[in-house]
Amino acid sequence: MGKLWVVIKREYLERVRSKWFVIVTLFGPLFFGTIMVLPGYLSVRGMREARVSNVRIIDATGTGLGVRIAQRLVPPQLQASSSAIATVDVVTPAEVPTTEAELLDAVIKRDLVGYLTVDSATISTGRARYAGRNAGSVGETEAIEAAVRAALLSSRIEAAGIDEQTAESLTRLRVNLTAERVTDTGKGGSGLAGAIFGFGVAFLLYISIIFYGQAILRGVMEEKTTRVAEVIMSSVSADVLLAGKVIGVGAVGLTQQLVWLASGIGFWTQRGRIFSAMGIQGMPAISFPSIEPMVLVALVLFFLLGYTFYASLFAAVGAMVGSQEEAQQAAQPVIMLLVFSIIFVQPVMTNPTGRLAEVMSWLPFSAPIIMPMRMTATQVSGWEISAVLLGLLLACAAAIWVSARIYRIGLLMYGKRPSLKELVKWVRAS
Amino acid sequence: MTELALEIQGIAKSFDKHVAVRELSLAVPRGAVYGLLGPNGAGKTTTIRMILDIIEPDSGSITLFGRSHKEGGVLDRLGYLPEERGLYKKMAVRDVLRFLAELKGVKRRVADSRIDEWLDRLSLRTPEKDWGTAKIDELSRGMQQKVQFIATLLHDPDLVILDEPFSGLDPINAQALKDTVVELKRSGKTVIFSTHLMDNAERLCDSVCIIARGEKVLDGTVAEVKAENAGRTVVLALDGSGGDALAAVFRDRALVERVDDQSRFFEIEMQEGADPQLLLKRVMETGVRVQRFERVQPSLHQIFLERVGAKGVEAGMTGHG
Repeated sequence: MGKLWVVIKREYLERVRSKWFVIVTLFGPLFFGTIMVLPGYLSVRGMREARVSNVRIIDATGTGLGVRIAQRLVPPQLQASSSAIATVDVVTPAEVPTTEAELLDAVIKRDLVGYLTVDSATISTGRARYAGRNAGSVGETEAIEAAVRAALLSSRIEAAGIDEQTAESLTRLRVNLTAERVTDTGKGGSGLAGAIFGFGVAFLLYISIIFYGQAILRGVMEEKTTRVAEVIMSSVSADVLLAGKVIGVGAVGLTQQLVWLASGIGFWTQRGRIFSAMGIQGMPAISFPSIEPMVLVALVLFFLLGYTFYASLFAAVGAMVGSQEEAQQAAQPVIMLLVFSIIFVQPVMTNPTGRLAEVMSWLPFSAPIIMPMRMTATQVSGWEISAVLLGLLLACAAAIWVSARIYRIGLLMYGKRPSLKELVKWVRAS
Repeated sequence: MTELALEIQGIAKSFDKHVAVRELSLAVPRGAVYGLLGPNGAGKTTTIRMILDIIEPDSGSITLFGRSHKEGGVLDRLGYLPEERGLYKKMAVRDVLRFLAELKGVKRRVADSRIDEWLDRLSLRTPEKDWGTAKIDELSRGMQQKVQFIATLLHDPDLVILDEPFSGLDPINAQALKDTVVELKRSGKTVIFSTHLMDNAERLCDSVCIIARGEKVLDGTVAEVKAENAGRTVVLALDGSGGDALAAVFRDRALVERVDDQSRFFEIEMQEGADPQLLLKRVMETGVRVQRFERVQPSLHQIFLERVGAKGVEAGMTGHG
């Protein structure tokens, strides 16, 4: 037991003290935070920079439709600033071609982003023309289309004899759907937040397993190729060395995740302040999904078992190979198992109650990634979780049993990488 | 308290179809310097690994200081220097040494003070430079060997096992190693080392065991081994070189069994029962000037060649000694 502790201590301290660990642990949250927040920030900023409003509207309808469109083109966050409102050229139908030619010139010279033409055809059939540099942007053309539709609708309602004020309030309708997840114990917080949380957990597991599984592989290979393994094995058994490595590296991973979790919670509680500091208002109010304590325990168990399962497989691979190139090849089957699990994350996230999600969350190799996601996105019965955990535990025991045998022999074998047949022999021999 | 540091009884080990060690028994008394001699592929490393419980013998028993080597704490009294040496490249010297000492059950504080002692002793710590804080891969090869050597002895083992300790050592480190072996013996420790360099073995060992193809060929104290194989070797040194006539004398199979011809110096293996005086007379008759003619005990090297012979070396069996 004392020797196991010595091995764990070395694995832990050597890794935690390394430059890379400090950098990744401290800047990881910053990095993830940035890639999560930056796209939203940039799109809002893009809107404020008025790419959509820097269009001209040619209004040949004679009904003031252009002005209505211009009002509706402004994103609601920027209603206040009048400079954001697009200019409207009111013309007669005969003047349309010349005005269009002029504006086309302006677009080419980059004085304008684009121009929208509405005429009598728009009133009768809803057809409008847009030409601009941003015509390839789905979001922006959709925004223009929506503005035309809303303006047209309000003018039609007005034409039907309803006054301007009423028409305005009728068409300025916004829908805000709050989806709440229902479980056996009642409402369980926002469904969207549940899905995001589940995805986060799955992603974190995947990253940790890949990252720390590979760390184990490299560590084992180092001990083998530098021949230090033989000195160590004259003091402790290969099993203790393997166990110490898996536990020590696992502890490093847990340390890192605790730091990340703490900064994640910090970010969540301060999110209002952070967003307003960046000039973003009106964040949708997402309530944190209520996680039952049992689910939390199950999450931790899935992480520990999933990590152990893959870590012992990676350790066996490390003991088999003699170089980095060989390691990459030999690790393929293990990595395939992981990748196979992660490609199903998307379909499972969109349909966490489907058959695919169920099956993927039962298989031992994909369960550590898929089940936590299913569990948080929707409700999974306690007995099902227990059964899957038990299956995973058995798979873990089998993986450790096989890996320890390969490890014990592989560490002292130099030269050619063993064939599958030889591996089977190794497993049987010890 | 038993007098034996190590006792091996009938151990055997095969890998797949290849037999590495068969029915090997040996006994190493406490305080002895014991040589495990044999050609490459003889099973030396496999035997050592079995003693250290790194690999499991198929049969037989191994006893260290009168206790099974499986008993807790017994292996902590052993120090091991493997043939293929290496340490964690990215770790600081002091950390590696402390780690390996702690694995042998040495308390951290004790380990730290001993590390300083050893670093001073092998001049890895001088007023100008403390290599203890350097990473292993910043050290020269010679220094790395010193560190590895410290790691072997840091926990003050009662039995030190060195596998091919002289391979890859420069003359200065080799001499330091010999001095240390003598010192260990003086302080009552037991040393077992494997080698195929017979000169070193002859000078350092009290007892030897020669193995070939996984089997024991002979064992005993160096004196015993020499006495048992003595009496038929004659050394001849000439003033000038011998001619065809001398070669003809050596070809006489009634008199000479084998000659190690070094032009002016000859190690002659006489035939069983042949008279050395007759040989001297015949040599004189060829007209050469004899500088030295001496009946000697054979060197271990001679015994080794004679008893193991070229057939003892299996082709292609390297790396698993």
